[in-house]
Amino acid sequence: MGLSHHSIGILFSTDGPYGLVGRAMLNGARLAVEEVNAQGDITLEPVICDPQGALAGYVAGAEQLLGAGIRHVVGCYTSSSRKEIIPIFEKRDGLLWYPSHYEGFETSANVIYTGAAPNQHIVPLVRYLLARGGRTAFCVGSNYIWAWENNRILRETLAIAGGQVTGERYLAVGETALGQVIEAILDAKPDFVFNTLIGTSAYRFFRDFRNACRARGIDQPRTLPVASCSLAEPELEAIGPEAVDGHLSSSVYFTSIDSPRNRAFTAAYAARFPDGPTASADTESSYIAVHLLARALARAGTEDAATVRRTACMDAFDAPQGPVRLDETTLHACLTPRIGLSTAAARFSIVAQADEPVAPDPYLVRSDPRVVPVSRRPRLRVVP
Amino acid sequence: MTNPRLIQNFSGAQALLIAPPGTATDVLAGTLLKLGLTVASVVPAGEAPWLDFESLDPERHIVIVDGDLPLPGIAASAVSDLPPVPVVGLVGAEAPSRLKGLLQLGATGLLRKPIHGASVYAALFLAVNEHNRRRVLEERLARHEERRRGRRHVVKAILRLMQEHGLDDDAAYEALRREAMRARQPLEAYCETLIRARPSPVAPTVAPRLARS
Repeated sequence: MGLSHHSIGILFSTDGPYGLVGRAMLNGARLAVEEVNAQGDITLEPVICDPQGALAGYVAGAEQLLGAGIRHVVGCYTSSSRKEIIPIFEKRDGLLWYPSHYEGFETSANVIYTGAAPNQHIVPLVRYLLARGGRTAFCVGSNYIWAWENNRILRETLAIAGGQVTGERYLAVGETALGQVIEAILDAKPDFVFNTLIGTSAYRFFRDFRNACRARGIDQPRTLPVASCSLAEPELEAIGPEAVDGHLSSSVYFTSIDSPRNRAFTAAYAARFPDGPTASADTESSYIAVHLLARALARAGTEDAATVRRTACMDAFDAPQGPVRLDETTLHACLTPRIGLSTAAARFSIVAQADEPVAPDPYLVRSDPRVVPVSRRPRLRVVP
Repeated sequence: MTNPRLIQNFSGAQALLIAPPGTATDVLAGTLLKLGLTVASVVPAGEAPWLDFESLDPERHIVIVDGDLPLPGIAASAVSDLPPVPVVGLVGAEAPSRLKGLLQLGATGLLRKPIHGASVYAALFLAVNEHNRRRVLEERLARHEERRRGRRHVVKAILRLMQEHGLDDDAAYEALRREAMRARQPLEAYCETLIRARPSPVAPTVAPRLARS
């Protein structure tokens, strides 16, 4: 059999508001492409396209890649960009390999999801917090679907456990005036803070919140811990040394996973990208996506979307986080949830871990109550 | 008054699919399975669609019916326009007659054919919760209607108490309300029992006349 050659599209925003994450994801994909090409079963030629964080850029990029005859594209970070280009993949019958954790409630025959579904990030986090006595939460998040949906799951799970959300605040993406929110949290004295802020707002929040607690003599990590399910190592570095430690994060991958497979991955990544950014869960997810795609292409011997999809679902890949395979019904991945506690070195020490990979449940049919539970107190409050 | 409970997870429910054989329902059935439902096809090939609504369980069944079918044989419950289970309509020909048929069946959600997987959850969510909301409203309306019919007994009972015990209307009402509560009955039902037990109105006594003199 001759060496087969495949062009694949790579669609990440390495510029723009979430460029840091995009660069970490691009690096994960590039490392995997180089590993595949070094193995010699097939060769991959990545065609890289940067939408620069603009929705129009994603549409143009997807049209351009698929229009050039490419069938498989690894890309997207935000849900809005993914939803924008899915119709293009459906129309042209391409496959989008989407490598990021997200809020779920979506499946498409033209998308393979290698990042965590909500039952693999928020649900384990809430269970972890409940098991440790957390009953009251203050939610602070960026004003979009990621925060709204995660807060809904937290609110309902707490209501069933007899707890409640004592406050819920949303800020515009990029907002850095956090004084009022921090005052409100200190007044509410919740068992924990649930953070769904993203980007610069999040980094600023961690710093300002730690400072405000210090000024009042409060040991923030012990008294008012902050839990997140989007916090990764590159972001810890962005928070800075004064406020980096003691934060909880739920993720299927941390660079600190202690296994030969992960040590090999982190060493290869560090050697290839010495200038960073540091690898994150989404880096690993991109790396998994490219490897699963390459293995399916090699076995299927064709780029046809249906054949590659079917072949990919019959595979199991030894990923840095552990064994990963795709669920044929939802086209989401079986992944291993973990809870990490951030350290002063901007890494996570793993404090809890699932015994085995957890099957994806993007619509939470196995994880959500059938009837929406209602908290005892009214949830709406007047915001000055 | 209880508000309808919001349903967001349809796992364990069964979708009864009423569509002509050969209709492209693979995407619909596939998405329903992902959402945790089981799917049963109701139409045997070559027969007119027919469904016994009375045998359905409102907690478990959801009917999905193709609006392009001739729809005799499927009718909403005889007592109200709302069927006993939620109904989702599949819209092919977007013509008034077809849409009217689905409306008369009590469809509270619609899915446009060809069906796109990403619209199924939203249609189910709306159909089930809107159906439940309407059911609660209908039950509430029926309760109010029954109480309204019972008000004439309350008026009669108040008058009787005023006459027999020389109370004013407020005091008579208060006494009846207290007794109804003690008997654990709605006020209207208690008053009706009271009036039926002694239907003939008491003739006006002479006492008022004596009092006036």
